[in-house]
Amino acid sequence: MSSATTFLLTTIMISFIINIAISLYGVFAKPSLVKKFIALTIFSDSVNSFAILIGFRRTPLGYPSIAVMPSPPQSVEDLKRFVSEAVDPVPQALVLTAVVIGLAVNMFLVGLIMLYYKYYGSTSTRRVKI
Amino acid sequence: MRLSDIAIGVSMAMLALLLSYLIVYGGLGPIATLNLRPLAVSFLNYTYNPWKIVYSAMSPEAVTAIVWDFRGLDTYFETSVLFIAIVGLIALFRGANVVQGVSSKGLSIIVKTSTKLVAPLILVAGASLAFHGHLSPGGGFQGGSFMTVAMTLLAIAFSIEFFQQKKLTLNRLLAIRCIGLLAIVVVSVYLLVKAVLLGGYAYIFQNMPRINSPYSMPSWFLDRPLAGILFFFNLSESIAVIGGLTLGVVLLLLREEELKAIIGGGEHE
Amino acid sequence: MSEMLPVIMAFVAALISIVATWLAVQERDMLIATLFSALQSTCYALIYYLLMAPDIVLVYLPVSVGILPLITIILIKKTERYEE
Repeated sequence: MSSATTFLLTTIMISFIINIAISLYGVFAKPSLVKKFIALTIFSDSVNSFAILIGFRRTPLGYPSIAVMPSPPQSVEDLKRFVSEAVDPVPQALVLTAVVIGLAVNMFLVGLIMLYYKYYGSTSTRRVKI
Repeated sequence: MRLSDIAIGVSMAMLALLLSYLIVYGGLGPIATLNLRPLAVSFLNYTYNPWKIVYSAMSPEAVTAIVWDFRGLDTYFETSVLFIAIVGLIALFRGANVVQGVSSKGLSIIVKTSTKLVAPLILVAGASLAFHGHLSPGGGFQGGSFMTVAMTLLAIAFSIEFFQQKKLTLNRLLAIRCIGLLAIVVVSVYLLVKAVLLGGYAYIFQNMPRINSPYSMPSWFLDRPLAGILFFFNLSESIAVIGGLTLGVVLLLLREEELKAIIGGGEHE
Repeated sequence: MSEMLPVIMAFVAALISIVATWLAVQERDMLIATLFSALQSTCYALIYYLLMAPDIVLVYLPVSVGILPLITIILIKKTERYEE
């Protein structure tokens, strides 16, 4: 049972790596600026998914629970049971910061591409010689 | 296909193969272990610990406590990075204003009526997420993003001239953003000012009493945990996010006539 | 077997996301490419929920299925729609 879970989780991680490779190919090889922008957002999403997968854990029985206490603990045993069943909360806090910063940079990029088109007349990097 | 495309494709495939080989044979660390890392065990132990208040954050939600209390300075600088991006966007489109005095256009009346029904519901759901961020999954960014989606629905179904008519100009949206930032600053140095005036020690971003200083924010409210500083941070962050992101989207929606005045046609090569 | 059901669902969602990414990079019509990118973001949101990260789902859904396709469609309207 546990080896099947390890196989499935490793396959999910390999799918993230394949997504990184495909989106990097899209950033380098396609000539349109809008296509490069779309591929860049897919790239940053896949890298964030790596960090969240690292925070997963395995419990001896059943499935792990979220990192939120359902009610204030009444004794020390409640606290110990919560610690032995919850997933790792530190990568989730880091990914939250990364998503918001990515949104800010992407909004600025869209404004830049709009002004680039108005000035040069085309969004293809093969037709414009700067 | 060009030769450069084939070369890029082959090198990306080799990168994927190499990383997969490393991961399958455990080179980048084990996946899904039984024991957590010691840092995670320490944070989970001290997120709500009424027997050791000196180390704890007194909030049942571990992720919000890490974002705003244990690693609060990271979040403060991330808010300022968002602010810098908005300022850059304003600087790119400087001099452009929404046209005054034009009656609002917008989409057809069916779209307007259904948006009038749906948008207040989304606003209320976003505000509720921002209010209970310390008890259940939610928080400042989550609530602010929901409310931004509702505001952009309103900006597209009615038009941006409608916002101008209701006195929600670009300067007012920027003022909402700055009020949110000011609220964050005031809440974070509140205990420090209190300690300077009354004597004793305190720290910046302090939530609960620490070893050297006995001051603390309120940790219970009538019969629910309030988690002190986290509640006020969530409120001010949601106000800041709704102001900043709506300003960004309205700037990108400006019409062609207003943009031509500031760019002045193309100089193609 | 029934406690492996979440992991099997995440596995299926990951395979669908690979197909959506490849189609988004290959497409010449930018509007359809934005649609495929939003489909990939939905599959990722399902994976985050099954990996027990609800705070991330609540940030990722409005940002990656709401605001980013919106500003991309505004960009396509103001620039060109077909590549090359």
